[in-house]
Amino acid sequence: MSDPFDLCNPTPEHLMLRELVADFTAREVEPQAEAQDRKQELNLPLFRTLGELGLLGITVPEEWGGAGMDATAAVIVHHELSKSDPGFCLAYLAHAMLFVNNFFHCSTDEQRRRYLEPVLSGEQVGCMGMTEPGHGTDVLGMTTTARRAGDRYILNGTKTYITNGPEAQLALVYAKLDGRVTAFVVDRSCPGFSSSQPIHKMGMRASTMSELIFEECEVPVANLLGEEGSGMVHMMRNLELERLTLAAMSLGIADRCLEIMVRHAKERVAFGQPINRFGQIQRYIGDSYAMTEATRALVYKVALAVGPEQNNRLGSDAAKLFAAPVGKQVADHCMQVMGGAGYCTEFPVERLLRDAKLLEIGGGTLESHQKNITKDLTRHFA
Amino acid sequence: MKIGVLLKQVPATDTQVRIADPSTGIATGDVKWTINPYDEFAVEEGLRLKEAGKATEVVLLTVGGKDVEQRIRDALAMGADRALRLEDPGFEGSDCLGLARILAAAIKAEGISLVLAGKQAIDGDNAQVPAMVAELLGWGHVGSVSKLEVDGAGFKAWRTSGGGSLDVVQGGFPAVLTADKGLNEPRYASLKGIMMAKKKAIDVKGAAALGLDASTVGAGAALVVDSAWTLPPQRPAGRILQGDNAARVKELVSLLRSEAKVI
Repeated sequence: MSDPFDLCNPTPEHLMLRELVADFTAREVEPQAEAQDRKQELNLPLFRTLGELGLLGITVPEEWGGAGMDATAAVIVHHELSKSDPGFCLAYLAHAMLFVNNFFHCSTDEQRRRYLEPVLSGEQVGCMGMTEPGHGTDVLGMTTTARRAGDRYILNGTKTYITNGPEAQLALVYAKLDGRVTAFVVDRSCPGFSSSQPIHKMGMRASTMSELIFEECEVPVANLLGEEGSGMVHMMRNLELERLTLAAMSLGIADRCLEIMVRHAKERVAFGQPINRFGQIQRYIGDSYAMTEATRALVYKVALAVGPEQNNRLGSDAAKLFAAPVGKQVADHCMQVMGGAGYCTEFPVERLLRDAKLLEIGGGTLESHQKNITKDLTRHFA
Repeated sequence: MKIGVLLKQVPATDTQVRIADPSTGIATGDVKWTINPYDEFAVEEGLRLKEAGKATEVVLLTVGGKDVEQRIRDALAMGADRALRLEDPGFEGSDCLGLARILAAAIKAEGISLVLAGKQAIDGDNAQVPAMVAELLGWGHVGSVSKLEVDGAGFKAWRTSGGGSLDVVQGGFPAVLTADKGLNEPRYASLKGIMMAKKKAIDVKGAAALGLDASTVGAGAALVVDSAWTLPPQRPAGRILQGDNAARVKELVSLLRSEAKVI
């Protein structure tokens, strides 16, 4: 190929994937987004369509029924879906990145044979439990415990703010075994496992959230993921892809809001002329475009160097630290350009602005990224 | 039964068409290309016939350079088995009849017995090539099919005719059928399909490989030549009639008669 390198679509397959997801998003995701936000429900039939399209196992190798694609492909899916429905995309992320991708990379063949197929089709929904009521960014402070008892582990504790918690049949859960973080796959048949009522939230309402509750929860020994005490390795590796794809969601929100803003500013007339003639409006548009393009370049650049065999915590932290405020800022600029219309639910901007805020908190607060970056850079320059 | 689907790349419907040069055609630099939408119906119908066990293989055929390969990949990702890309310097400048000769030669060489195509391509809107292919091969042809049934003996095809009625045409194979809207709802290419498309074969064949007499195709053999390309004229602004209703109605009737000449 003599074409110049396209950072956002490095191969023809990436471009085809983008066209597939963009087409699907315009035809099937956009029309249901507003209603799902209002209902505060996950659209399960639509979620299963993602399985039919092969998107739920995007990073799982082909021999295990996935698509065998890379971090850039995962970014493309989150980027395109979030142009219409970040809430729905968050459910996808919690399933395909936090459960499926994470599970695949720390499971044995036997565990994959047991659990992979129904989550690749979308028949079962997955989630991941890390945050606790008293421990978010301070993840090592977690108090959920596991102890060995014969052929079982007994889990006790509560995880919270778990996306897909109400629907999930399967959860990848971190708990401390002899003080060391260890990962388990817990399914609904494990006695003592339950989820709370849904937790209501400001945005991302097309996905649901709850607590996961473990009360003397019995998990078969065969459900230990990796080695006892190896949970931090899995957690850190998966957090990179999680943060990168969350950053891609902010990019999708920014792209959509920029488009709405530009169209509105051209059509809306005030003081006898389209408002895009006014310098105040041009500043919103110009700044929004520049920050969106900078986000695009950073997110896709980092995506090239994120993968199961690569270590790129600095890059993924930087991508999300930069992208999340941009998504929120561009949505806010869009609303300001639209004035009253932007504030009303008739247009998607107020929903996108509510959704955008989550990305400054979930998958790592901005402050956790600043903490990690400082630590990694300090080590780098030592 | 082997099915051949004729595929054409066209500018996407939301493309802003510009004329590059009145003698050569549209500017293609910033055009976003897509599979002709009617051809997508044809691909989908071919795949459904194969899935129903009524066909063994779905082969895509297209005339064009390397730039059309991405559209071929799109259709391979939907599930077509393989593709033939027909390219030769001698094919340049072919008119519809020339294209039909190229395609007919390839269809014959491939041993295809059912050709599916879109009823027209949405760029040139000629709606000629499939019918010409049928004529050159001496096969039956039904255009604008909106419902199709196939069994071992032949096919039954529904097509819209004038006045809102439907013709039902029965026929045997080999045949050429063209797809109208309503025939089916084309599927999304799945991610698995996209990954598999990478491994499927796109064979390139020229005039010699097709056993085609080069003097019958290309610019030299073209019976139809585009003399000039222009954009449609701008629609003039509307007019708002003044005065009371009686006067306006009178003026409107007179304008419809004398200026618009519609009554």
